[in-house]
Amino acid sequence: MGIDVQAILDGFLTTIQPMNLFWIALGGFLGTVVGMLPGLGPATAIALLIPITFGMEPTSALILMAAIYYGAMYGGSRSSILLNTPGDGSAIAATFDGYPMAQKGQAGQALAISAIASLIGGLIAVVGFIVLAKPLASFALRFGPAEYFLLMVFTLSAIVALAKGQMVKGFISMCIGLMISTVGIDLQTGVYRFTMGNVHLSEGIDFLVVIIGIYAVGEVLYNFLSINKPVGEKKSVGKIWITKEQWKRSKWPIIRNGPIGFLIGVLPGAGGAIASMLSYSLEKQVSKHPEEFGEGAIEGLAAPESSNNAAAVGAFIPMLAMGIPGSGTTAVILGAIVMLGLKPGPLLFENNPDMVWTFINSMFIGNLFLVILNIALVGILVKILDTPPRVLYPVIMMLAFIGTYTLGYSTVDFLILIIFGFVGLFMKMLNFPVAPLILAVIVGSDMEQNFRMSLISYPNAIGILTASPITIALVIMTIVSLGLPFLSSWLKKRKAQKNNSEAM
Amino acid sequence: MKKIVGVAALSFALILGACSSDNAGEKDDSDFPKKNLEFIAPATPGGGWDATARAIQKILKEEDIVDQSMTVINKPGGNGEVGWQYLSKKDAHTMAIDSSLLITNNLLGQSDLTYEEFTPLATLTTEWISVAVKNGSPYETATDLMEQLKKDPASIKIGIAPGLGNNDHLSFVKAAKTFGVDVTKLNFLVYESGGDVMTSLLGGHVDVATMAVSESSEQHLAGKFKIVAISADERLEELPDVPTWKEEGVDMVFPHWRGILGPPDMTEDEIAYWNEAFGEMVETDSWKELLENNGWEDFYQDSTETTEFLKEQKEMYTELIDESGLQK
Amino acid sequence: MVRYITPILATVVGIIMLISAINLPKSNLGNPNGPMYFPLLIASILIISGIVYFYQEFKARGNDFADFRALRIGKSPLYLLVSLILMLIYTVLFERIGFLYSTILFLAGLLFLLNGRKKWMSNIIIAVVFSFVTWYAFGTLLQVSLP
Repeated sequence: MGIDVQAILDGFLTTIQPMNLFWIALGGFLGTVVGMLPGLGPATAIALLIPITFGMEPTSALILMAAIYYGAMYGGSRSSILLNTPGDGSAIAATFDGYPMAQKGQAGQALAISAIASLIGGLIAVVGFIVLAKPLASFALRFGPAEYFLLMVFTLSAIVALAKGQMVKGFISMCIGLMISTVGIDLQTGVYRFTMGNVHLSEGIDFLVVIIGIYAVGEVLYNFLSINKPVGEKKSVGKIWITKEQWKRSKWPIIRNGPIGFLIGVLPGAGGAIASMLSYSLEKQVSKHPEEFGEGAIEGLAAPESSNNAAAVGAFIPMLAMGIPGSGTTAVILGAIVMLGLKPGPLLFENNPDMVWTFINSMFIGNLFLVILNIALVGILVKILDTPPRVLYPVIMMLAFIGTYTLGYSTVDFLILIIFGFVGLFMKMLNFPVAPLILAVIVGSDMEQNFRMSLISYPNAIGILTASPITIALVIMTIVSLGLPFLSSWLKKRKAQKNNSEAM
Repeated sequence: MKKIVGVAALSFALILGACSSDNAGEKDDSDFPKKNLEFIAPATPGGGWDATARAIQKILKEEDIVDQSMTVINKPGGNGEVGWQYLSKKDAHTMAIDSSLLITNNLLGQSDLTYEEFTPLATLTTEWISVAVKNGSPYETATDLMEQLKKDPASIKIGIAPGLGNNDHLSFVKAAKTFGVDVTKLNFLVYESGGDVMTSLLGGHVDVATMAVSESSEQHLAGKFKIVAISADERLEELPDVPTWKEEGVDMVFPHWRGILGPPDMTEDEIAYWNEAFGEMVETDSWKELLENNGWEDFYQDSTETTEFLKEQKEMYTELIDESGLQK
Repeated sequence: MVRYITPILATVVGIIMLISAINLPKSNLGNPNGPMYFPLLIASILIISGIVYFYQEFKARGNDFADFRALRIGKSPLYLLVSLILMLIYTVLFERIGFLYSTILFLAGLLFLLNGRKKWMSNIIIAVVFSFVTWYAFGTLLQVSLP
């Protein structure tokens, strides 16, 4: 497939029509606002706003939905950074260092770098999209059950390995997450597992409820422990713009992780959560200051932000090139464009090239717009931090409950929310890493299902591990990621011993 | 003076207008509906049921078929169970989307509700279900495929979504059973969504997949995989080269229908009101456009016909699930 | 002794899971034991991790263990308990008395707990205003169906 420059240019011209620019702006803004609420991620944001698109021209509708999508991604990381309450899976990695930065009085800079990283990641991915859409779509098809299963094993092990010296806590945390994911009807056989006779539980526990519980409710409860301590001097929000030094530190992580996020985003079903967590663990492994990670290292925020935005763009490839929705969000968009009378599928590129290219160009403009919007909003957003916590916490609590209600329209979820609020509280008190649990809940049921399907496709475990070059590579990466922390601590010990003996 | 006449004329016109639209809505002078109507989509926003409910609401409103305001409310959970449970406790101003899940949930032991408790109001649409093989598959036709399954039921990997006991699964079971295959030994790979099934068929990770025709037709037309049979009673306009199961020697028609369900104990007047309203709705252009866009077929049946239809469906599903080996 | 609570808990949960996984119903389709494989795997990893964790805590028994201490300071146990009760009440009332009233009560309860009785005026205003704003934003603008 050659790249049709004329089509790209035409698409660009359609995009900058005032009406379409208006949709980009509106979608970006609405998405940002909705995305900031706990539990309301891109998929929900789009689903809730779909009625607006009824009666719109398909191209404009698609542009609007994509803008809501990015907007919600930006919004999600806003609340991760400022309040430690991620809006959805792909915003979780932004809490690891974003929230500590805000605590250190660098909220403005954290928001700025997250916007910049998202922009660059998004742009890298858009370029990747233009050049690689079709070959990548067919590459993604080579991922069968065994490949997906091992990709998830690898991601989990990379996250567990982050908890240096406390890997065992990481494993326990992961197991709890996987346990949660086994609740519900077993897909492969229809057997009920651990549902305790509750209809609502038969569909399993929504991972978003767990996320909101552990982060939003858990965080608020945790802060109750210290709410009466005298507050030091008022937290400054810091400068709004990043320093040269900070840019130097985050430049390469941003550029490195754009393509990584993009490639993972292309795989149907993998998505932003896996992409951003892998990027975070990669940066921590290669960083010269791994000890600063989790304490507010700017590259620990820049890397996942670049990665998850790139993944969001990548996720459109299977949808537009083959008509396969690769994520919950793209599935919702796909459903909406079907309602508009388009036929997504392998023929979309051939039949509606103008629409596809307009859409891709709108991603360029949309990303630019969102950065401007978000940087303009920094000043207002950081005001949230000025709100006295005694007022802020009750409001966060309320939003957490409402966000949860919109997920399943059932108060059974409230009980789950409360339980995981306390689980989150105790995990924080005991210094348990939360990320393995969250990631395990997100990927758990997919992971099991792929495992079970692999068992049907291959005779035994060895068969699964050596099913294809991809699986072999994933197995090696898993072993390395789990072994690396041991190896490096062993090397350090040896070095120390050597120094000791020399000193004697 | 002129002003007053103007105002009087205007209000007169308004009253007239209001009356005439009232008449259009309620031809059999009962006073139903009296208040706001609730339309339950037993699913989350963004899904197929939600979209259907919202589209119907829009058409009923824009074509002035129903005057009372109508709100779509989402009650997702338990494959529709939560929404229908809610409906069972409401009065006649409530209705919900339903499908064969209303029957199969009960048969699979996932619900105590049966369709008999409710008032079936209409059947609206159907989708047909396709069976597709990957490119380069040794099975050229559905008959080839079934012959192989008859010899060795476990030799072929069949992709379905999103769960056992749904129509994609049961339609294949029914076809295989009719052909004489031992259906308890079939090897189903269950994916989370139709998109995943399609990916795995395109990537050759399953040999066969069953999907709604609207999901698979584009890939078939592009030559990415081959549909070997559809569950319709006759060939489809958009897929003239694809045979029906009947043509392949399997005597079966399997609709994947959607309809409207009312709460228990509706009066005859209320049922008549909806017969009229839906009868009018399915004739509108915007309804036809909706069907066209989504690849649905018109399957309209009024309340009485639907009740009869549901009875047949229940018998069919009872037998099918008994023989499929599914747990209850 | 407190330090052993978590490792023991993890191991016990693992064992419970192991037992309940073995007792899962068999499947009539495909592999009858299919549903239990993955839970068994998780349970085993959890039990092993629990035991290793126990050993690590045992080795570190001489060190100070401060993880639970925060629970005993000042008013924090009271805050946690009262907010738990408030959350449970909210859960019960939410669908009974509707979104608006239950949310006002919930917010006001939390605000009185944290912000103190002296600022009752601002507490009530905040509770009412925020509940109304969210009710409007979700119910009307986003068309979410709230009870």
